[in-house]
Amino acid sequence: MRVFRAGFLLAALAALLLLPRFVTSYKLLTYTTVLCLAIMAQGWNFIGGFAGYAAFGNVAFFGIGAYTTGLLMISKWHLSFFPALAAGALLSACVAALLGFPILRLKGHYFAIATLGVAEAFREVAGAWDKVTEGATGIDLPLRSDSNFYYYTALGFVVFGVALTAYLARSKLGYGWVAIREDQDAARMLGINTTLFKVAAYALSATFSSIAGGIIAYQNIHVAPNDFFKIEYTLQTIIACVIGGTGTVWGPLLGAAVYQLLSTYVWSHFIELHPTVLGAIIVFFVVFLPRGLMELLRRFGAVARGGRFGSDVFLANVRASRLD
Amino acid sequence: MSGAELGQIAVNAVLLSGILALVALGFALVWGIMNIVNLTHGAFIVLGAYLTFWMHELWKVDPFLSVPVSMAVLFAVGFLVQRVLINQVIRAPLLATFLLTFGLEILIVNLLNFFFKADTRSVMTPYSGTGFSIGPVRVPWIRLGALGVAIGLVLMLGAFLTRTRLGRAIRATGMDIDAARLTGVKAPTIYALTFGIGAALAGAAGSLLSMIVPFDPNLGGGYTERAFVICVIGGLGNVVNVLIGAAVYAVVEVFVGSRVPALSQAVTFGILVLLLVARPQGIAGKSFS
Repeated sequence: MRVFRAGFLLAALAALLLLPRFVTSYKLLTYTTVLCLAIMAQGWNFIGGFAGYAAFGNVAFFGIGAYTTGLLMISKWHLSFFPALAAGALLSACVAALLGFPILRLKGHYFAIATLGVAEAFREVAGAWDKVTEGATGIDLPLRSDSNFYYYTALGFVVFGVALTAYLARSKLGYGWVAIREDQDAARMLGINTTLFKVAAYALSATFSSIAGGIIAYQNIHVAPNDFFKIEYTLQTIIACVIGGTGTVWGPLLGAAVYQLLSTYVWSHFIELHPTVLGAIIVFFVVFLPRGLMELLRRFGAVARGGRFGSDVFLANVRASRLD
Repeated sequence: MSGAELGQIAVNAVLLSGILALVALGFALVWGIMNIVNLTHGAFIVLGAYLTFWMHELWKVDPFLSVPVSMAVLFAVGFLVQRVLINQVIRAPLLATFLLTFGLEILIVNLLNFFFKADTRSVMTPYSGTGFSIGPVRVPWIRLGALGVAIGLVLMLGAFLTRTRLGRAIRATGMDIDAARLTGVKAPTIYALTFGIGAALAGAAGSLLSMIVPFDPNLGGGYTERAFVICVIGGLGNVVNVLIGAAVYAVVEVFVGSRVPALSQAVTFGILVLLLVARPQGIAGKSFS
């Protein structure tokens, strides 16, 4: 089983590495977008999946990453891409840590809406701060017409994200997050510094969002407040995680891919009803498959090894929490 | 800032606060009783606005008279949504109801966009734009009427919750669902009723708003956020708390809107985050009593 899985992963990685040879460079841009969605989802997974804090404002860091990367590359600094990207990621992590100390004290709905508000506030600031961000017009980045570059950069970060998640899931930090998710008071009594753990998760998720933002900014050349602080990005991120399975290593990547497949299919067939279908997908997964596709795969794996599929995959929430 | 300007700001704030209270009340009821932050609330408001618009367009129904109709329709919609969908996952982790109502919001808003396009609409009556003046301060009739209807509905809900058997059952369920069930309350139905009432209030607010502001299918989201902020300011305790929250918020919004319009949301959310940091559990407790 393990050999089989390793072989499958190597084959998948090889296919992803060779992909640019077989598709047009336009098509490759959309694949890069999927990978960036996966990066954001991997980031959200730390705070939303492992620590269980429903962050609804990760697009704020996507935007900060895009703006910082862009501004450092054009203005008087003229940095090259990777240092600019790193600076954006660092800034996002710092902002997230500073914001995290107050707002991570909030619980439940309050935290969710506070993060949503923070993202909206950043959008308005980016639109109003003409001197730095050029307001609603936005900024233009240097052109680089090499779509392979964006693709491989994004792919590299996705692989890094998977490795990091796999490592952290079995580390003290990861177990601490899960403990906080399951019962914060109990976690504190076990000696976990809950504030620090939560801030770490939030800063890490901000870093990932920021990197995705920087890559997309460089690929799109143009950064404007309304394109890069869109609440839809946060939403897509969370949906990708929920589809794949929150708090799992492969869930965000799988979810991003499946989400994009569904989304592209819907776009090409019923373009005007795209968000409706999106809403229906959310409702479907929340009600019918709340643990995501990874749980489904795990059960198939169990069956392949001769075990039982179990009946508690579908409608898990309904079984556990229905009111009747 | 001149005295006349201050006076106008004050009057505008009072006129705005009535509708905001109505918007926030349905939201607070659903949150306080069932611990659901209903992100579909804004979509319900827009549905109410469209109902009023089409009744006025097709049959020349006076917008004020269409308020009960949109309340009835939205009550039915809300009842079904809670009964069929939300009751299924009500005890799951918070993200479930949050995402579920968010998904419904997207679904409804997009369907409205699909059928009615994103054209901005407004309901024009013979008395639109008329009003009276107190010195330099102007008071439009429609806004005054909307304030009256809003306050009437708020008081009616308050009386319903405290004076009737059903209202007491709703509050009892909010305080302790298990104890309420022991006394024979049918919790799933009560939850559906509560959500229906919340949606009906949103529908009424939408009907009133359709006369006051030009609207399109995307109007609602902003009002969901406002309702949330008002609930945080006032607390979920009871009708009076929501009224106070709405009044405070209206003053802030009208004042900030007249000073730094570009940053109105940033300022509002800045205040919200500060409030939340000072009182992480919200300003008042949880239950609606």
